[in-house]
Amino acid sequence: MIEKLLTLILLSPLLGILVLAFTPRYRAGTVKLIGILATLIPLLLSFVMYVQFDLNAEGMQLVHRADWFQIPIQDSVVKIAYEVGVDGLSMPMVLLASVIATLGAVASIAIQKRWKEYFILYLIMEIGLLGVFMSLNLFMFFIFFELALIPMFFLIAIWGYLDREKAAMKFLIYNGVGSGILLITFVALFIKTGSLNMAEIMTRLSDPMSPFNLPDSPYLISEGLRTGLFLALLIAFGIKMPFVPLHTWMLKSYQESPIPMIMISSGVMIKMGAYGLIRLGVGFFPQQAVELAQWIGVLGLVSILYGAVLALVQKDLKMVLAYSSVSHMGIVLLGIASMNATGFQGAIFQMVSHGLVAALLIFMVGVIYERTKTTVISELGGLAKSAPFISGVLLTAALASLGLPGMSGFISEFQAFLGLFRAEPVLAAIGTLGIILTAVYMLRAVLATTFGPTPEKWQDVVDARPVEVIPMAVLLGFVILIGIYPAVLGDVVQGTLQNLVPRIGG
Amino acid sequence: MDQMVENAWLIPLFPLAAFVIMVAFGRQLKTTAAYIGILATLASFVLALFTFLERFQEGAETFYQPVHWFSIAGFDVTMGYEVTQLNALMLVIVSLVSMLVHIYSLGYMHGDDRLPVFYQYLALFTFSMLGLVISPNLLQLYIFWELVGVCSFLLVGFYFYKPEARAAAKKAFIVTRIGDVGLFIAIILLFWWTGSFVYNDIFNAVENGVLEPWQITLAAILIFIGAVGKSGQFPLHTWLPDAMEGPTPVSALIHAATMVAAGVYLVAATFDLFAASPTALNVVAYIGGFTAIFAASIGLTQRDIKRVLAYSTVSQLGYMMLALGAAGLIGYAAGIFHLMTHAFFKALLFLAAGSVIHAAHTQNIFEMGGMWKNMKVTGWLFLIGCLAIAGIPPFSGFWSKEEILLSVYHAGRMDLFWIAVLAAFFTAFYMFRLFFVTFTGESNLNHKPEESPVVMTLPMIVLGVLAVVAGFINTPWNPVLGEWLTYGMEGELHVEAPAWISVVTVLFSLAGIGLAWMMYNKKSLSRDWLSGRVPALYQLSYNKYYIDELYDTVFVRPLRGIGIIVNWIDDYVVDGAVRLTGRITDSVAGLGARMQNGQIQTYGLVTVVGLVLLIVGLTVAGGYYK
Amino acid sequence: MSEALSQVPLTSYLLVGLILFSVGLYGALTKRNAVIVLLSIELMLNAVNINLVAFAKHGLYPGITGQIFSLFTITIAAAEVAVGVAILMALYRNRGTVQVDKMDLMKR
Repeated sequence: MIEKLLTLILLSPLLGILVLAFTPRYRAGTVKLIGILATLIPLLLSFVMYVQFDLNAEGMQLVHRADWFQIPIQDSVVKIAYEVGVDGLSMPMVLLASVIATLGAVASIAIQKRWKEYFILYLIMEIGLLGVFMSLNLFMFFIFFELALIPMFFLIAIWGYLDREKAAMKFLIYNGVGSGILLITFVALFIKTGSLNMAEIMTRLSDPMSPFNLPDSPYLISEGLRTGLFLALLIAFGIKMPFVPLHTWMLKSYQESPIPMIMISSGVMIKMGAYGLIRLGVGFFPQQAVELAQWIGVLGLVSILYGAVLALVQKDLKMVLAYSSVSHMGIVLLGIASMNATGFQGAIFQMVSHGLVAALLIFMVGVIYERTKTTVISELGGLAKSAPFISGVLLTAALASLGLPGMSGFISEFQAFLGLFRAEPVLAAIGTLGIILTAVYMLRAVLATTFGPTPEKWQDVVDARPVEVIPMAVLLGFVILIGIYPAVLGDVVQGTLQNLVPRIGG
Repeated sequence: MDQMVENAWLIPLFPLAAFVIMVAFGRQLKTTAAYIGILATLASFVLALFTFLERFQEGAETFYQPVHWFSIAGFDVTMGYEVTQLNALMLVIVSLVSMLVHIYSLGYMHGDDRLPVFYQYLALFTFSMLGLVISPNLLQLYIFWELVGVCSFLLVGFYFYKPEARAAAKKAFIVTRIGDVGLFIAIILLFWWTGSFVYNDIFNAVENGVLEPWQITLAAILIFIGAVGKSGQFPLHTWLPDAMEGPTPVSALIHAATMVAAGVYLVAATFDLFAASPTALNVVAYIGGFTAIFAASIGLTQRDIKRVLAYSTVSQLGYMMLALGAAGLIGYAAGIFHLMTHAFFKALLFLAAGSVIHAAHTQNIFEMGGMWKNMKVTGWLFLIGCLAIAGIPPFSGFWSKEEILLSVYHAGRMDLFWIAVLAAFFTAFYMFRLFFVTFTGESNLNHKPEESPVVMTLPMIVLGVLAVVAGFINTPWNPVLGEWLTYGMEGELHVEAPAWISVVTVLFSLAGIGLAWMMYNKKSLSRDWLSGRVPALYQLSYNKYYIDELYDTVFVRPLRGIGIIVNWIDDYVVDGAVRLTGRITDSVAGLGARMQNGQIQTYGLVTVVGLVLLIVGLTVAGGYYK
Repeated sequence: MSEALSQVPLTSYLLVGLILFSVGLYGALTKRNAVIVLLSIELMLNAVNINLVAFAKHGLYPGITGQIFSLFTITIAAAEVAVGVAILMALYRNRGTVQVDKMDLMKR
């Protein structure tokens, strides 16, 4: 039973889809309830997974394998297997995905139309999100990558705000380009190494005695090709992350997507990029990654400062958060660029932390929008008087985002910078400007919303309802838990990092 | 009594427990919240007092207890607590002042429906501040360092509906954060250089020559930048006077007695590091000295009672920095001594000012006047505070200020010595200007002020007593505190200085008082006899040397300008490129669509062109594509 | 006579074929009158025929295949012209024109 746990997690949203298929479409309440309950199953199973996870083991755990199909290639047959498993890198991501998915479903009760289709698409997307982090081969990785992308397109295009179609198109095409590059890279890897299994590709690429590395072997994969493939992965995942200048799709989708979609997008989906970059980019081409580390660091730095400066002048709360996401994902890049265990740990922490904090922040914006019908900063103000609870949570979330100790953001930033200061002290020193700027733009946006005199029109804003308190409490709970006791996450990633880091010589 | 120190970790936990309880029950607690807070700080104070007294026993060693927190890539990061002479003293000061402020606020905040929130913040602050003091390593210190910062931010912005409070809170957070980043970098660099966050490991590394001199200097200066931000030293002092937008008890606790002294505490706690770098010590001394005189000169002309006190805080903190940086071990003892006495008399002054504001409903001293008649208790206490800060014997401020001046003189730093003396003159002048304008003369109020309730005066009386007697713990002929503080540290503690120094400094202070008396009480000198002659200087001081405006033009506006420019770039260049790619694809597609015109001949032409291209391609490539 | 013809090098035949084909192609792509277009297509077919016959004689594997092939082409071409002209007649009756550029039904 336990070896099939991941498969159960992966397929459990299907149960919800099945039940929804037989539910009358006009019964909104029932549909929403089923939708939320359906996301609870993978969530509970994910917690089982966390408990079952062996902290001391290296490599993949809870692996479940089955033959799927075969492709005859020239004179041999390539078997494509269904294989899922988790290690210290992907396990937190699976957990994050299932947590955010559940809270996103709770936030979806504000959806106004076509609930049945909404939740069916939502659950399909959840399968995609979970699958990406569990996949052990490139074939499955790509399928789940796309499985998350396509429902998101419809979810934005149908349930978004005014300019939703355009935002959805931009999202789809931009990410489609990324997927295209990713597909080409995967095919190239497959042709060159003859395998789709990640672990196998990794050994084939790194083993000095394999025919792919011997200088006069006909199967030699040249340095140039490796660099090219690494860059392709960097761009493909860079669109997803996104880093400057590949970030513009996110702005539009932040503006026009329904709130739960932004939660998923910034909470989980953009983490797929960072995850892919670490697992596939650095995992397959450690040497190229080390050589290009400085440039990755520069990219990260540019993202941090660029995002922060832009977040400073935005007029719309959502846009502030969009640029803040760009800025925060820059810290992930900084962690990766340090190419040592400390930095990687920081990057993973930052992925989880930003996932939680960004989801919380955008949820709060949604809560405020529902009451005021606006997210323009200059029109808001003084909400702390009429809605002290909402304001308090928003402020706490902002403090978490700007890296206040005691919450997850600090631990992640600290580790990322700790790692980077060892590798690239100058870059890191410049990067610390981002810490100041984050405080500036976050406080500017949040204080303008909650502090100050309360205008007449916001005198009677209702404070949070119980159903809204749940996501706030859960997210804040995790944020504070990681902040106070980082070992919950730190211990999980140790084993995997021990495996990864020697390969980059860190 | 051996167990006391082992329970020291409980000291910060009482306020934390209080905070958790208050948050859990929320606003329905009403005034119960205040009593929970008072009880918790009382418990902390008692425990801290016993821990402190235990340190006076012979052979009291530094107590250090780490526990595993989490691992960074195989490295164990620990949390823990440590009790040394220095932080045992700080624990007592913090918990005592905090307890008194908790009690005082019961009266001051009476009737405010957000009183439980206020006490939540206070409890969280007390927890963080005690945690900061008890930290045995830099990382843990930094965590609490930020937490006290955020509490200060929350409390400054307590009256969130006032735009000024909002701006002040934001400013307080951001300006101190600039300093914090310096500390942040220092911690990381020290970790890579010495392999530890723990003070003792770092000091050992310094002692054993693991670090290059430039590394020590760099780390020390970065740490000092953090201290500059927190302690409101020049050039990061601008947030502290603005922070007076917070409720007055908060100003007393956070922005006078405890948190702003954290910078001084930080320099003292890492003194071994500073001591190894003369450059860093010089930076500390000169920044401190400059801040002392600079802030005092601004204090001369301010009209808001709390702002005058705020500038005096900045100035006094500069004094402490000056002592720490300029005069070695004696300066260290003197600086900490002054930190202690200052905590008492400045808290007293702020609480008394709060009492005045409470009665007068204004903060502008020229709208008050003649308060003495109706507020005898407050008046007396305020006077005690003024005498203490002006350095009039036998009040506590005299002893500590004297100690600083003596140590600086002893170290042969005459430039700094005269700066300090001049600052003392300014201090005496503006404090008594404040006193005379507020308490004497005719009342400018249109209502009769009433004395504050006992719950407010009682904490003030306690502080008043301390402001009088606390100095005797460290007199030149019997420096108990100094010897105790530097127990186990190497260095000269004996001060030999001519007696004229004491006489001169007291005379300077008396001159300041006399001048204030002539100008503001007896009015034998016109109020603007000086400002009328050199209006430029007056304007400069009154406008705080236009530092805020300077920062606004040099940093804030350009940053926003860059933001707007970059925003434009993002819209039109980065996203423009994206849109252009889309449009090119679109127009190519349009071109293709136009060829679909139903004319068979066009199709034929396209086919031929394609064929030709194919053939040319094959020819160029030299045959079939491999 | 046949001796003299086989003296002519392959290139010349191909050149003639090329010119013929190009003329035909030009006509097929530019002429408005459908009849001329049909004629041009015939030219192109004949160019192909010349090539076939030439290769049958001078090609890598000389044989009779090429000539037979060209006979087929001629037959097909005749049939094609018959069908084409019939369509043209029908079109002319219906639309009153045989101008090619007036016929863009494929787009509609």
